[in-house]
Amino acid sequence: MEPSRDTHATLVDLLDRILDKGLVINADIIISVSGIPLIGVNLRAALAGMETMLKYGVMQAWDEKSRAWEREHRKKNVLSLVEGEEIALKMYGSYYYSKVIYHTWRPGYFYLTNNRLIFYRQDFGEITFQIPLEEIKALVTREEAHFVKGKKKQVLYLIDKQDQVHRLSTAETDQLKDAIEQILVTLGLSLEVSPVLPEFEKGPIDFLTEGEEVTHRGKKVWYLVPASGIKQETWRPGHLYLTNKRLCWWYDFERKLVFDVPVDRIVRVNTEMRKTSGLDSKKEKVLDILYEVNLTKRTVSFTGEEIDEWAEALNGIISGQMSEDTEKINA
Amino acid sequence: MAEARYLYCIFEGSEEITLGNIGIEGSSVYAISYQDLSAVVHNCSPEPYKSENQEKVKLWLTTHAKVVEVAWERFGTVLPLGFDTIIKGEEGVAPDENLKKWLKGDYENLTQKLAKLKDRAEFGVQVFWDPKIISEWVTEKSPEIKKLSEEIKSKSKGLAYMYKQKLENLLKKELEKEADRFFKVFYDQIKSCVDQIKVEKTKKLEEDKQMLLNFSCLLFKGKSKILGEELEKIEHLKGFSVRFTGPWPPYSFV
Repeated sequence: MEPSRDTHATLVDLLDRILDKGLVINADIIISVSGIPLIGVNLRAALAGMETMLKYGVMQAWDEKSRAWEREHRKKNVLSLVEGEEIALKMYGSYYYSKVIYHTWRPGYFYLTNNRLIFYRQDFGEITFQIPLEEIKALVTREEAHFVKGKKKQVLYLIDKQDQVHRLSTAETDQLKDAIEQILVTLGLSLEVSPVLPEFEKGPIDFLTEGEEVTHRGKKVWYLVPASGIKQETWRPGHLYLTNKRLCWWYDFERKLVFDVPVDRIVRVNTEMRKTSGLDSKKEKVLDILYEVNLTKRTVSFTGEEIDEWAEALNGIISGQMSEDTEKINA
Repeated sequence: MAEARYLYCIFEGSEEITLGNIGIEGSSVYAISYQDLSAVVHNCSPEPYKSENQEKVKLWLTTHAKVVEVAWERFGTVLPLGFDTIIKGEEGVAPDENLKKWLKGDYENLTQKLAKLKDRAEFGVQVFWDPKIISEWVTEKSPEIKKLSEEIKSKSKGLAYMYKQKLENLLKKELEKEADRFFKVFYDQIKSCVDQIKVEKTKKLEEDKQMLLNFSCLLFKGKSKILGEELEKIEHLKGFSVRFTGPWPPYSFV
């Protein structure tokens, strides 16, 4: 097949280019011609009985979609879709990521397709979360405290058919919810009408200061209350929280913060198997934390199921601080 | 009065040339240079060309195309400008000075673009399908649609109407699916024989011809044969046709 240049149709093809394209000069030395597009449109109409821009109709949506596909296709770190899958909505937002004791809101993009809801982090090429639409059992929105004190954010609770709860948030959380619901309707799927939101927040966290954010929390952690006066030291149940500023222990019975230490005061952490009760000889893993307040070194001890994870998290912070210190010294 | 410059294209070179009175409305076309970059221009008043008379505008456009074409043939590689790009002067600054200032300021960028486009040309590729033929084919292929269209025959008038609508929706969906599939296949097929590809908006033609894709492709001037062969394969598919235009100066790739 040979390219052609001289027919009526090819002329249109060329004139399109001259009207819409060519080198653009971004300078104020150019006479701006707001009239150009007008000339273009008129001329097109005149040259035509021929081609008019695609009218709204069957293929319009498809045409845009195919061009969007091409744009996405060209980018790196493209979210790969399965065959026949189409993106209905893409929205910036965050997903509450939790793994054992690590919890944080992670930023990224929500993609709603005709098959799945995906949370994708472009920079890492990582799908943090995805769920087939038919696995969504219920959606609930609720206002939650933003980590900036006083601010609230709309959080979408997504409950899956295994009763796992996922927390999603965007600037337009309602819009995301509406879009999911709409697609479910077109797929003939329905949601549970008045879902019960399982309680999964352990303990209230109203002790956060301005700009403070919980990064780690987990199952029950026992705290060794130091001996005072005639009272012996005793283990008390509660919950440990690591924020971007402090390590805090919340006493469940008295519903208050009993212990807290700024993270940069923590000197060393250590774990050890030892007896925690005078009644039996069973040993448990204990986490000892050496910290320094007012030039005095103190220790505090915790025990619980997730002690290894806590030790790991704290060690990560200490080594991070050490490298910061060395950098300062080197600088 | 000549206090502005109408731009046709940029080329690499610093020859003092004139191309004759081939410009818009018979104006004399020549080149203004900064170092080894030159702009092909004619002198005009600082007013855009506009007119309600479509024949006139059409003539302007084809003239613009012609001048760029002549320069392209003569200088090998050009950066074409769109219609009605006019550089004006300012108080105490002549338009030529403004033009040179721009060439100087954008020198790096312009020479890089010229290098990238060296010996390349732009081709238009449009693939159409005949919705009637494709619909028949889709109907044949989909048991669901086939069954439905059989059922219609035995329905009462009112029911038949409902069925027909259902059928049309189904068919529309299938057609879009097929369009999607073909688009991707053709895209990959065409992309493999060109340097660069740009996806343009599709347009509506006559009833029996629907534009499935509209690409601008950049490739070596002499290498259009491979693309042509690939397009021929598409042309031979039943219900499909191809429009292959060019070579054009690289309007879409500057």
